[in-house]
Amino acid sequence: MFAYIVRRMFQSVIVLLVVGLVAFSMFRFVGDPIDNMLGQERTQADIDRLRTELGLDQPFVVQYAKFLQGAVQGNFGVSYRQGRPVSTILIERAPATLELAFVSGFLAITLGIALGVFTAIRRQGIAANVIMTVSLIGVSLPTFLIGILLIYIFSVELDLLPSFGRGETVMIGSWSTGFLTASGLKALILPAITLGLYQMTLIMRLVRSEMLEVLRADYVRFARARGLSERVINFRHALKNTLVPVITITGLQLGSIIAFAIITETVFQWPGVGLLFINAIQFVDIPVMAAYLMLISVMFVTINLIVDLLYYAIDPRLRVDARAT
Amino acid sequence: MTDTMETTKSAPKSRLAKFWDSDFAWSFRHSPVAVIASLVVVVLVLAAIFAPLIAPYNPFDPATLNLMNGFTPPGTPNAFTQETFLLGTDDQGRDVFSTILYGLRISLFVGVSAVLLALIIGVILGLIAAYFGGWIETLIMRIADVQLTFPAILVAMLIFGIAKGITPPEYRDEMAIYVLIIAIALSDWVQFARVVRGAALVEKNKEYVQAARLIGRGSFPIMFRHILPNVLSPVLVIATISLALAIIAEATLSFLGVGAPPTQPSLGTLIRIGQGFLFSGEWWILFFPACTLLALALSVNLLGDWLRDALNPKLR
Amino acid sequence: MILRNSAIGLTMLLVGTAQAAEFKWASTTDPQTMDPHAVNSAPVLGFLNNVYEGLVRRGKDMSVEPALAVSWEPIGDGEGWRFKLREGVTFHDGSSFDAQDVLFSYQRASGEAADTRSWFAPVSEVKVVDDYTVDFMTTTPNPLFPSSIANWMIMDQGWTEANDAVVPDKETGNYATINANGTGAFKVTEREPGLKTVLEPFGGWWGDAEHNITRAEFNPIQNPATAVAALLSGDVDMINPVPIQDVARLQQNGDVNVIQGIEARVIMLGFSHDAETLKYTDDAGKPNPFRDARVRKAVAQAVNVDAILATIMRGNAEPASQLVSPAMSGYSGANADRPAFDVEAAKALLAEAGYADGFSFGLKCPNDRYLNDEAVCQAVVGMLAQIGITAELDAMPVRNYWPELREDNYDMYLLGWSPGTFDAEHPVRFLVATPNEEKKLGSWNFGGFSNARVDELLPMIQSELDQAKRQAMLDEVAAIIQDEQVYVPMYVQPLVWGTRSNVELTQRPDNFFLLRWVTVN
Repeated sequence: MFAYIVRRMFQSVIVLLVVGLVAFSMFRFVGDPIDNMLGQERTQADIDRLRTELGLDQPFVVQYAKFLQGAVQGNFGVSYRQGRPVSTILIERAPATLELAFVSGFLAITLGIALGVFTAIRRQGIAANVIMTVSLIGVSLPTFLIGILLIYIFSVELDLLPSFGRGETVMIGSWSTGFLTASGLKALILPAITLGLYQMTLIMRLVRSEMLEVLRADYVRFARARGLSERVINFRHALKNTLVPVITITGLQLGSIIAFAIITETVFQWPGVGLLFINAIQFVDIPVMAAYLMLISVMFVTINLIVDLLYYAIDPRLRVDARAT
Repeated sequence: MTDTMETTKSAPKSRLAKFWDSDFAWSFRHSPVAVIASLVVVVLVLAAIFAPLIAPYNPFDPATLNLMNGFTPPGTPNAFTQETFLLGTDDQGRDVFSTILYGLRISLFVGVSAVLLALIIGVILGLIAAYFGGWIETLIMRIADVQLTFPAILVAMLIFGIAKGITPPEYRDEMAIYVLIIAIALSDWVQFARVVRGAALVEKNKEYVQAARLIGRGSFPIMFRHILPNVLSPVLVIATISLALAIIAEATLSFLGVGAPPTQPSLGTLIRIGQGFLFSGEWWILFFPACTLLALALSVNLLGDWLRDALNPKLR
Repeated sequence: MILRNSAIGLTMLLVGTAQAAEFKWASTTDPQTMDPHAVNSAPVLGFLNNVYEGLVRRGKDMSVEPALAVSWEPIGDGEGWRFKLREGVTFHDGSSFDAQDVLFSYQRASGEAADTRSWFAPVSEVKVVDDYTVDFMTTTPNPLFPSSIANWMIMDQGWTEANDAVVPDKETGNYATINANGTGAFKVTEREPGLKTVLEPFGGWWGDAEHNITRAEFNPIQNPATAVAALLSGDVDMINPVPIQDVARLQQNGDVNVIQGIEARVIMLGFSHDAETLKYTDDAGKPNPFRDARVRKAVAQAVNVDAILATIMRGNAEPASQLVSPAMSGYSGANADRPAFDVEAAKALLAEAGYADGFSFGLKCPNDRYLNDEAVCQAVVGMLAQIGITAELDAMPVRNYWPELREDNYDMYLLGWSPGTFDAEHPVRFLVATPNEEKKLGSWNFGGFSNARVDELLPMIQSELDQAKRQAMLDEVAAIIQDEQVYVPMYVQPLVWGTRSNVELTQRPDNFFLLRWVTVN
């Protein structure tokens, strides 16, 4: 077990290094940062000088090595756009994304499980089929369009919710939270729905199909034969057994919530890391792009590792496998 | 003579009848949702294929466009040219109906090709990973990790950039569509690989595979002849849902500035252009393409749902 | 005179405080720095004009008026300019302003690391005469010098030195990148780069407040639809710009106003003049048709600018005949006619040049730089198709666009130019003069156009003190540009701002938004 973890950790570090290398080899294709940093009256000499100062004239491997050298010491460089350390900016922006991801993840899981159970129990019912179909609308239109439509309906036409931003935030230490003010909570609603809709549909479908399988399993039939009430069967026996795959898949989806946040944050001008990343692409802010990608890959690699370890703990058959490989 | 006629006639008929009587077809016939959804898909696919015959205009030919036709509302004559368009025109004076038909072609082409490509990459890598195990499996699954790290949008932008750097100038115009296909496929293959690997790991230890191995069959025949058919049903389900996702992903990429060229818009590009007119009153530029995309993606997703249930032996 | 002014100021101030108000506004880009010498771009300079001030400033009608200098006069026969400074001015941190700050700011803004140093190219020396008098010596007579430094902002020497920000740093940033200490009507009280910047009126400002704002908050909103939604729902009081297509709808809405003006920016088509062959063509290796002025003229006659303005720009822009708009000084009234839209004439010109069967080429276009840039390029493609030449459109974000142009990857391209000096000489220097790295000429003349007479006239225009003679030379240059059809100027980009209906403000043609002219009722 210990050897397995160590080996996986080692592999994870290699994954991180490769992510960085791939990222740096490709940044020059994103665009040229120089034009955003100089005004209209720049000369070719200014362009060349700035390029040298930023080290952009060097091969990407050298740039990457420099980045790694700093990153090891916790220094991710300085944003081209903001002229501030990237780590400061990321710490500033992270709470917004994490709070949004938390709320939409929470919505997705609770609603997803509840609706999944309902549609499984009432498989042939009209309500269940309507829910199944309507929930698909959420995944049949692009996220940006759903976001814009929600803004149009709830902020412009009904004037109920704010159209952009995070509302008022309160600082708790270095963490800015929107949970403690009315405007902060209101501002969360539309982006959280936009972001959570896709995950909710996914979890709901997953719970439903797992439930359907479990409900036909022998032990549930026996339970029914024993005369246990439907409620006890559905919730104590069936639901409990569907949750294991649901939890693992949901864990993996946590990563994609943060990845999907890019679009949602752009539409709602939500001041998180996703918006920061889109801005970084727009202005070819290489230090920010590099740090963001490293951060995301650390997250994915960690989640993957945890999920694999969970499998390992839950499913004894895989233990043999792990030992064999 | 008559006998041969009979047999040639009856053989396919009986095969069709057999299929008609199968569980699969039975469950299809008894699911109104599946029937309606597949009808919608068939109609949309046919409309896309025969777009040049159906569409009253060719919106991809700039020489036929008249800018003064721009922003004509559906079914009302244009103030300058007095021309009337069924679903109105967009900002360039393109007939929205024709543009949707042509855009559908591009979206379907991009979606289907991207999913096929992702499926081929994912299935092959997943099978190899499961069958050989060891360092090969580790390598493949860690590549999958790297892939998951890059948001699809960034992958697309990077591939766009690289393709621009390496293709000769004169081919760049046609390039955009293929770049989209590769970008979407590259961000999509991982789930195929994961599912196939998971399913194949289970199959691999079953008796029939052991038996095949014992009689000395090679690795690749075992993988593709024996294991593959048995892991295909989850792949099919994912492929269906991925198709809808790929078409939407293409729209999202277009929103972020990397998509089909505006002179040959896909459904997604049309929606991106149309959302700019949400507040200005020209609702038809957004509404009709969005409805078409919704109908297509919803139907494909519903088919995927039905397929998931129908192919799951435990639910029969 | 001074007394009367401050008396009026006092009453206005009283009125102002009676209806004091908070104000929120949004625009697409965040000013990337608070350092007035680090980046010479409109979003930065426009924003900082609220916080910092120069020796001179531009009024509501763009006229040059006194700011930190009360008066200025030429020295001798045009050897330079003498500025008399305003007394009793303090910076936001309370330190006082004098000639040393001007000298310091000159050294800072003209240094190697400053993006503003091209403004000081004509300056040979700056001399402090006394605490409130500064002489700027120029290498040649320079009649436009005072107006050319309207965006040069003065920083406090003590503050800048104490905070270790003597040299502007756009690569790694310094204290002045996020903090500001100007003499302007507003001071920065909160700054979260990319998210929010809060300004509050500066109590010690020397001028008379014409506004009633107690607190102003700026938020960048990138997605145009979100910005319009924010204005409609009252989450912000002003947005810049309003998407052209939404103008009509917003005008009908009682809660918001649309303020329109003509911007200084002229949108034009540019050509590859020095390339031997076309880059993007089906018949590779054929000579570059755009080297022939007749082909360029054919393009000019094939583009139906009126149709573009009527549909894509929805009647919100004016056609352009030359590289500057009529509002700029030095505009050539003698060359105010555009080539008429005439498909037959265009076809005849093409045939005359030997391209009766047309040809294919590549058109490059940005898709996030100018208002509706991509749609305009698409329309141009359609119009050129009518005369038998096929353009392959490649529209891209601006971060990829300029590198493509620098690497000559185009046959035709779209460009917008806003003259920083508001004078007709500016585009000639940057877009038409033969590219010359050493003399800093033609740095945006991507196509490599070269005309000996233009190159000869340009330095004469730059140093001519006599207005009539200068205009005659500018007229000659404008005529050459038109005859050669160096560019195809299409229209002057409109300025469209949206406000809540209780807001009154002044829109300046340079698209600078000044809080000191805002009243919230």
